[in-house]
Amino acid sequence: MLRHAAQRLLLAVPVLIGVLAVGFLLMQVVPTDPAIVRAGPMATQDIVQAIRVQLGLDQPLIVQFGLYLLRLAHGDLGRSIINNIPVAQELASTIGPTLELMAASLIWSIPLGIALGTVAAVARGTLLDRCVMLVSVAGVSVPVFFVGMLLIWFVGFRWGLLPFTGRGGPIWSLAGLRSLILPAFTLGGVFVGPVARMTRTAVLDVLDADYVRTARAKGLPAFIVITRHALRNALIPIATFVGLQIGFLLGGAVVTETIFSWPGIGRLAVGAILSNDFPMAQGTILVLSGGFILINLCVDLLYAVLDPRVRT
Amino acid sequence: MKRLLRDPVALAALIFVIAIIAAAVLAPWITSGDPYDNDLGAAMAPPDADHWFGADDQGRDLVVRLIYGLRLTLAMGGISVAVGGGIGAAIGLAAAFYKPLDGALMRMMDVLLSFPAILFGLAIAAIFGPGVTAVILALAVATIPLAARITRGAAAVEMGRDYIEAARAVGMKDGRLIWRHLLPNCVSALAVWATLRFGQVILLGSALSFLGLGAQPPTAELGAMASQGRGFLFFAPHIAVVPSVMIFLIVLAFNVLGDLLRDTLDPRLRA
Repeated sequence: MLRHAAQRLLLAVPVLIGVLAVGFLLMQVVPTDPAIVRAGPMATQDIVQAIRVQLGLDQPLIVQFGLYLLRLAHGDLGRSIINNIPVAQELASTIGPTLELMAASLIWSIPLGIALGTVAAVARGTLLDRCVMLVSVAGVSVPVFFVGMLLIWFVGFRWGLLPFTGRGGPIWSLAGLRSLILPAFTLGGVFVGPVARMTRTAVLDVLDADYVRTARAKGLPAFIVITRHALRNALIPIATFVGLQIGFLLGGAVVTETIFSWPGIGRLAVGAILSNDFPMAQGTILVLSGGFILINLCVDLLYAVLDPRVRT
Repeated sequence: MKRLLRDPVALAALIFVIAIIAAAVLAPWITSGDPYDNDLGAAMAPPDADHWFGADDQGRDLVVRLIYGLRLTLAMGGISVAVGGGIGAAIGLAAAFYKPLDGALMRMMDVLLSFPAILFGLAIAAIFGPGVTAVILALAVATIPLAARITRGAAAVEMGRDYIEAARAVGMKDGRLIWRHLLPNCVSALAVWATLRFGQVILLGSALSFLGLGAQPPTAELGAMASQGRGFLFFAPHIAVVPSVMIFLIVLAFNVLGDLLRDTLDPRLRA
């Protein structure tokens, strides 16, 4: 177990260094000069040059990369070109809302997806199965922004039931909770379908297994056979799948945050890219990639905990 | 094929796919207007006899824009699946054929695979600036590792077959063997995968355009059109709804077709 963990951790290190290096180099080939952007259209050549020196842009690339890593080690991701706020500070304030949104989306969509998928598998070949699968295929196909806009239009605007812009406050306050409902419903909505499909496949795989037949043969009620014997074994592939699909969910989170003006890291990233705020864009991409490496690592380890066969 | 014709949902999906491809290809001949022709008198007009799907904020006819939008959106999806799929397939074939390369190539693919497409989209848009090219590039890069895995899986099975041994025994060159024998036997698996991937790519690409990282307004592209409509959601919802529904239907049709093709190849999962 420990060896497996150490191996995985070691594999993640070069990937992380790669992300850092690629992230840094990519920002070097940007067509716009950050010094000119920072200086504004009216600046003289001297001012641009001064800013270039101030930002360290006159140094050789390798030196800039070294300086960059050194700064990163100190938690310094630079300052926004647009408003001069430290990137790290901006990132720290947006990670919370993003995690909140993702957690709130997963907490209802995973159980619902597993339930739907199990029902479909048990009722395999019936009309019910076909309906569940059709709904889940529709769920996989619908653009996140469409779901979001429909909810805003009806629930938020027409019926005026829930707020649909921004975050009302911390999650423990009523306003915060209310503002979280529509975004979480939007983001979770696109996750139910994939989970249901995966669950159906996984449950179908184990339903034919000998131990399920044995459990049935000894007269256990169908519900117990399904939940205790079949579903429990099917959970291993489902858990892995969910872990790997967190990436897919992040894509949806970026869109969801943008539509609902949710102050998360995805919206920050998009805003930074659209306004050519390179330090900010790079910071968000770095944090998102780092988050990914971490999630994948956790999924690998979780997999080993769930399935003892992997450990050896 | 028979199964496809018997299944009404799949048949509808197939007809729809053929119809939209035809509409996209024939766009200039089946529409009367220009997708950028504005008529401010008709601005935000709801659907009526003149404008079947209404008009956008500049009074541009949404039917015309939808058809031209289809053109760009489908082209974007097609190019990225073709480019990413082609490169990925080459890598997958190489990994299966040349065993010593296998480990290194597939580890590289694993690394690429561990990042979601949206991150490539963000990073590439940050470097090259937002635009259709950035989206195609991001989607193609995100597609490479998937194609490589599928191809390697299919090719590895074929590598164990007698005909490979036979071709080698008669002294066939590697390149010819891969091109003439190995690749054709992997094509069906790749075709199923590409159908499903096309739907996903359209969805991802339209999301990137919606965020403003892809096609820029006033370009007629479905995601960008939905994004443009978002600003008028409360007065003229049809501007956002029309392109969004179109994206949904395209992706749905490709997913239904892809699922059916996959089930036909792998009957174990058949409903």
